[in-house]
Amino acid sequence: MYVDARLLGTFTELAHDGAEAATRSLTQLTGVEASVDVTKVSLVERDAVGSSLERGSFVGVQFGLEGGLSGRAVLAFEREGSEALVAGLLGGAADESMAQSGLSELGNIMMSGFIDGWADYLGTSIAHSPPTYVEAQGSDLFDAGPASADDQAFVFHSGLQCAAQEVTVAIYVLPDADSMAELLSTRSAESIAVEKLAAFNRMTREGAQTAAENVTLLSGVETEAEVARLSFMPIENVPEAFDDTTYIGTAVEFTGTPSGFLLVLFDERAAAAVAEALVPTAAGEGSLTADHNGAIEEIGNVITSGFVDGWANVLQRSVDHTPPRLVHDMGRALVDPLVAQLGQHQRHAFVVDSRMHTAEFAFEIGVHAFPDERELRAALSELDVDRADQTEADPTAFF
Amino acid sequence: MAEVLIADDSEFMRSLLREILEEHHEIVAEVENGVEAVEVYKERQPDLVMMDIVMPIRDGIEATDQIKSTDPGSRVIMCTSVGQEEKMKEAVRAGADGYITKPFQKPSVIEAIDDVVPA
Repeated sequence: MYVDARLLGTFTELAHDGAEAATRSLTQLTGVEASVDVTKVSLVERDAVGSSLERGSFVGVQFGLEGGLSGRAVLAFEREGSEALVAGLLGGAADESMAQSGLSELGNIMMSGFIDGWADYLGTSIAHSPPTYVEAQGSDLFDAGPASADDQAFVFHSGLQCAAQEVTVAIYVLPDADSMAELLSTRSAESIAVEKLAAFNRMTREGAQTAAENVTLLSGVETEAEVARLSFMPIENVPEAFDDTTYIGTAVEFTGTPSGFLLVLFDERAAAAVAEALVPTAAGEGSLTADHNGAIEEIGNVITSGFVDGWANVLQRSVDHTPPRLVHDMGRALVDPLVAQLGQHQRHAFVVDSRMHTAEFAFEIGVHAFPDERELRAALSELDVDRADQTEADPTAFF
Repeated sequence: MAEVLIADDSEFMRSLLREILEEHHEIVAEVENGVEAVEVYKERQPDLVMMDIVMPIRDGIEATDQIKSTDPGSRVIMCTSVGQEEKMKEAVRAGADGYITKPFQKPSVIEAIDDVVPA
């Protein structure tokens, strides 16, 4: 199967329009003003499809899709916030059964709005099954189907943000592989073989694994790689994919094929814990010393190399990067200037995301790469899938 | 005891290397970029340079090339987070004598120095 980048862009825009239609339905039915935060399509290992759902308690409405687009879909509502939607929908207190029924119907109408544009674009019909109400913790909300080894899947994701109430709503659509292949059957000079994208994802996961091992070695804080995904989205949507959490970390620009930017971001708790592990003096949240900042810079440097080196070694070329620059700001504020630079010559962006977590402390480290879209396509076209596991180089072979 | 010049833009990494090295060697200077590394090398003629690759102003491979051009007998160990095969080849072409990837453990640093600096 090949992926045409322009076609993928079109489908991402369709998903965005669909999410806007679903949002209008939400507002009309509940009176809760909402907007579409982000829409993207990601290639991810099937068992990690729902991993972008924050940890927490969710209620959801699941659907099966048939026709021009077959697969699975789920609308996810944060459990706590969903009560405001139910209250708006039913005009006051409701028993559990009525609340579930109301939310299911809300989901039903929103999903219809979401898929109508797709059906019109494809010139066919898309049917969705009756809604199934579900309650689950985090990613368990999404039944992605049975996963086989190295089974990667495309998933469309739209995040909706409600204005006054703290309600987060997400729409996930997971097309069947055959359906996705049919959707993407048009090939052009910009097409990329899906196996190459999947291999790139595996390289990213390998990079995350190396980075996690290096964090453990440097800091003594046992760290594990959690998930790696390659997402594609309109360039203006990229900052929306980041929240307003304040992060400390490093930014580098890398040059070569591909060129781009890479951020290593620790939330403030993570930064303090890792910095204290490296430099044994106390650091409070948001008040790291110069020594701590230096340690964060170095660990960012090592993590960056863990990623970039893997790409360079598999692609058999060198990718240089600038010395790490310490950054400390809200997620969106950190991403904005990078996206502004990339946006000068591309409409859509590939975003490489990976997360690491520790068992010892409840925090995560995020690695986010923003390669130049055209250069990444060029690099992937040259990628030898059989070399994709050769991410590491051994100095003793040369010295 | 060898005289060692440390070239790394990270103060944190310089302090780690200092801790590892100062038991057996003399640190003659610490610098933050490739330009300073070349200048200080010419002034002090240390037995060994521990050279980072990714540094501002001038990177470690260029600095190694310059040091080796002026003093072919110099000894340089690349000490870097970069683990790219192509970079290792560039380091060989620049004349580097050894290559250690970060994060390193003390024994690997000591071993690399013992391989490069005659007892």
